[in-house]
Amino acid sequence: MATEETTSDQLGQSAELRLQKLKGQVFEVALVAATLVGIVSLLVLFAQISNDAFQPGTASSTWFLVYFGTLVAPTAAFTLYARRRPAVRTANALAFAAVFGGLLLSFVTYAVVDALSPYDVFIYAFFASLPPALVLAYDRTTDKQTYTGPLLPVSILVGIGVAALVDGPISGLVGIAAEWIMYFGLVTVPAALLVAWRTASRRGRRTGAVAGGVVAAGALAVAVASISLGTNASLLVVLYSAFAVPTGYVIWRSVKTNPEGRIGVAGPFIILGGVLLGASIVEQFAIENPDSYLTPTLLLESWDGLTASNAGVYPQIVGSIIIVGFMAVLAFPVGIGAAIYLEEYAPDAGLRGRLATLLEVNISNLAGVPSVVYGLLGLALFRRTLGFGTGIVVSAAGTLGLLILPIVIVSTQEALRSVPDDLRQGSYGMGASRWQTLREVVLPEAIPGTLTGTILALARAIGETAPLVIIAVATTKYSPPSGLFSSATALPLQIFAASANAKPEFRHGVVPAAAVVLLILMLLMNATAIVIRNKYGRTN
Amino acid sequence: MSESDTSPKIQTTIETSDEESKSAPPNVRDTVIETRDLDVYYGDEQALDGVSMEINEHDVTALIGPSGCGKSTFLRCINRMNDMIEVCRVEGDVEFGGKNVYDDDVDPVALRRKIGIVFQKPNPFPKSIRENVAYGLKIQGFEGDVDERVEESLKRAALWDEVKDQLGSSGLDLSGGQQQRLCIARAIAPDPEVILMDEPTSALDPVAASKIEDLIDDLAEEYTVIIVTHNMQQAARISDRTAVFLTGGRLVEYDDTTKIFEDPEEQRVEDYITGKFG
Amino acid sequence: MSNEPESGVGSLQRSGFVVRKERLYGRLIAACAVLTILVTVGIILALSGRAFSFWSQISPIAFFTGTSWSPVIAESYGVLPLVSGTLIVTIFSALIALPVGLAAAIYLSEYASDKARSILKPALEILAGVPTVIYGYMALVYVTPLIDSFLPFSVELIPSGVPVLPEFTFVMPSLGTFNALSASIVVGIMIIPMVSSISEDALSAVPDSLRQGGYGLGSTKFDVSTRIVVPSATSGIVASYVLAISRAIGETMAVTMAMGMSPQMPYFPNVLRNLAESSQTITAAMVQIAGADSYGGGPTYEALFALGLTLFAITLTMNILAELVRRRFREEY
Repeated sequence: MATEETTSDQLGQSAELRLQKLKGQVFEVALVAATLVGIVSLLVLFAQISNDAFQPGTASSTWFLVYFGTLVAPTAAFTLYARRRPAVRTANALAFAAVFGGLLLSFVTYAVVDALSPYDVFIYAFFASLPPALVLAYDRTTDKQTYTGPLLPVSILVGIGVAALVDGPISGLVGIAAEWIMYFGLVTVPAALLVAWRTASRRGRRTGAVAGGVVAAGALAVAVASISLGTNASLLVVLYSAFAVPTGYVIWRSVKTNPEGRIGVAGPFIILGGVLLGASIVEQFAIENPDSYLTPTLLLESWDGLTASNAGVYPQIVGSIIIVGFMAVLAFPVGIGAAIYLEEYAPDAGLRGRLATLLEVNISNLAGVPSVVYGLLGLALFRRTLGFGTGIVVSAAGTLGLLILPIVIVSTQEALRSVPDDLRQGSYGMGASRWQTLREVVLPEAIPGTLTGTILALARAIGETAPLVIIAVATTKYSPPSGLFSSATALPLQIFAASANAKPEFRHGVVPAAAVVLLILMLLMNATAIVIRNKYGRTN
Repeated sequence: MSESDTSPKIQTTIETSDEESKSAPPNVRDTVIETRDLDVYYGDEQALDGVSMEINEHDVTALIGPSGCGKSTFLRCINRMNDMIEVCRVEGDVEFGGKNVYDDDVDPVALRRKIGIVFQKPNPFPKSIRENVAYGLKIQGFEGDVDERVEESLKRAALWDEVKDQLGSSGLDLSGGQQQRLCIARAIAPDPEVILMDEPTSALDPVAASKIEDLIDDLAEEYTVIIVTHNMQQAARISDRTAVFLTGGRLVEYDDTTKIFEDPEEQRVEDYITGKFG
Repeated sequence: MSNEPESGVGSLQRSGFVVRKERLYGRLIAACAVLTILVTVGIILALSGRAFSFWSQISPIAFFTGTSWSPVIAESYGVLPLVSGTLIVTIFSALIALPVGLAAAIYLSEYASDKARSILKPALEILAGVPTVIYGYMALVYVTPLIDSFLPFSVELIPSGVPVLPEFTFVMPSLGTFNALSASIVVGIMIIPMVSSISEDALSAVPDSLRQGGYGLGSTKFDVSTRIVVPSATSGIVASYVLAISRAIGETMAVTMAMGMSPQMPYFPNVLRNLAESSQTITAAMVQIAGADSYGGGPTYEALFALGLTLFAITLTMNILAELVRRRFREEY
């Protein structure tokens, strides 16, 4: 009798349990589906936009085979090889950063300086660096105590002021020199100094000076060679200084310090070489390229509202970079300073403590203000109060800077918070002041987190459109901004303006291609930030 | 913060400068640190109650007692690390070399440069070993031979032989015991007068702990050492004088170590030492 | 570097120069922080000046209760059509994002393995990182045609001939080029990470002892998650909802590009028509005014600021609300 009841009991329980188990499984599946639905939808949309931009359907299968052979297969082979060899991966990562970072830096520098006029940039850079150099030299040679720290930014501003005055009269004189000499001064000289400094710290002053001299001489050689060949000396000098020299240096150091991972440095070259080889084969055998809109034309020309294949977004790309670059100079010091105050200086209790809490509440409210409202603020501030023209670089940079200020502050605060307190205690116990503790212990530890936050802020700013529309930044311009007070232009604005054009080669051609350029830019920045966070960041 | 409390307080301390200890040499040692009627409050809670004691130069003075009886608080009053806790209120006198450290014209940062401190959990900076030891020298603008001082400090901390070939590697790569010796080297490099140690071995394994205990005796030749410890056997082994703190933050007895452990005056101290409570 | 006065127990001071220098640094840093208040003050001043000038010319009552928004042609400044447009997008995008975001948060917090979480969390963050102008473009060019291919769609829910109940056919008309549905969908996708990230933090903050208690009583994972963990994290979840909705209200580019510029009052009773047709949100109206380059002043230009102030007031209120909800219930732990 008991056994009968027990059996039916158990059966009953078992059925109920199975039902619950089923319910749980269905629930879990539903959760996974929900988590994925947004990601999958976005991927589908990305696929469509990429399809329109690249038009892979229009390429012949031979084309795919060629690139599979020259690019995909070697890269895959290399990746598999490197998988189990961490030394190779380290070397590869360094080489990757040097090669692609260097290429990016070279092109961006060249484009920006070219837009702003190399002669003007040179004059400003020269005069802006003289006073700080003097201040530093004075500090090093004198025994007296100096206010070097605060003086440096002030001296830079003084230098800029001098440059502004002197620019007009001098530019005629400076203009006599060849353009590449300006780039030499702007890019090669810093590169040579950097190499000299790094080498000197390892091998002594003399070797360092020699190394720097070699770099400079190499640049001269490149310039002379390219002039005699009739090619663009300026661009080649920049490529040499910002790409070839760092890459060479990194590879040389990598080979020396990481002999077993040596082969890792080949990684980026396998990719570059594969692309070039594939391109030349396709050219040679006249294989059909895809009818893609993501062409050099897109990246190097300016807009053409009538013929899609002639349209480009070069002015907008350069404009976005200039705006965001200047914005960083304006916003990051203030944001980081505010975060340092809130985390390291502000007390928890008392009047000051409550003020600090008020500041934090205010900042988190500012983070939630819609971007259009920042546009209105920019309009009122830059156009009405300060009287700048409509939609110039300074206004755009300032408006976006105000927009991202809360982001920079909050992420820097988190980075500072993640530095363990017993490091601070150790430093204070040694008799370091708060400033010394910050400078020697806390800030160095907080750099990765701060860097991550600032890169993400830059990524956000480069995609913002609404504030720029409100402050009347021009939607279509045919040349990049020529100065900080000239009218600005930005990539997302061009996309916005061109979305009205319903012709298929625009709507399903050039405009998606421009959007893809913006997306790639964003993804690169986000990826860099994530890599920095994962590699150097602290887990809270 | 520095007003002397003039209202009468019940003295519960015993100053031993009047008594001759049988084993100590008759040379009168200088008083390096003296507290008088020291009261410390965290908000409304009193952590130290009327503590008066004199600490002699080149002594190893151990502070013992159950948890929460104010030993660490007392230690942190000496170098004013308590200043960093906002709700902390200090009343009474703390004198270092005859000067009240809570006077308005005393800069706590300068004070801490004369007093070194080693914490319970080793906290080397994420820098190289050399940079760790040289840190105190750097922030004080030391103009002598840094490498020489680094070597000397590491030798005194009994760490030189183990790390002399890897001064450039990170301090965090060392074992726990080595890290703590690194922190000791770091603390002594700027040549302080006094070294405070807040349970320096309680986070370490016994082997590492005993290495540090050996060290402390050597350190006392150059510096004055004040060590808070939970471990009574440790206090008995290494200290010259011992101060016993019991509930309420009161200093109950302070005398030569041998006297405290063999024949204490207070019954409570005897009970604590023999394990009846605490 | 700083020169120390001579050592010896005697001098317990640093050089006055160093102390003054460091105090200066402290003040500079504090100034950076105070600047942030100026931003808020700036926003309020910038908006109020022109907004009140506008409301001195156009009666606020006409503004807030008018049903026709046609600044340039008819000079009518009734804001209700814009509010209606904003509401439609907000409601519909919330219908997408709030359940999906919460579900994702529950999955990430309670079910996902560490490896899955390390991939899915950044993946969700990407949803929030895509520029809104690209969302707008994708809505206009890809989402609208895709959905339109299934429309018009009608299903007879209550056929004729059934006694008592009137006939009811569910009709979804085909979409116009500009329509609220596509805009709502992309805005919904865009704000999923806001819900999922904040809700996940709230769910993870629930102490494990509560879960253990549930399991100890023989609950299934489903029960523990839905009956114990989620209710404990209600405040955080509600805060995330409010913040996401606030974000949807402030969204500009996606709705401007996908919804067009035809402000209208909502349709009743065929509610779905609102989704299929073009309308205009507050933010889109602001873009339209700014784009029309009417900087001569005058009511049209100043209307821009009146709209801005209204929008700012709405989102500020919601953000403060969210913060209050969070703080009120944070005391639990």
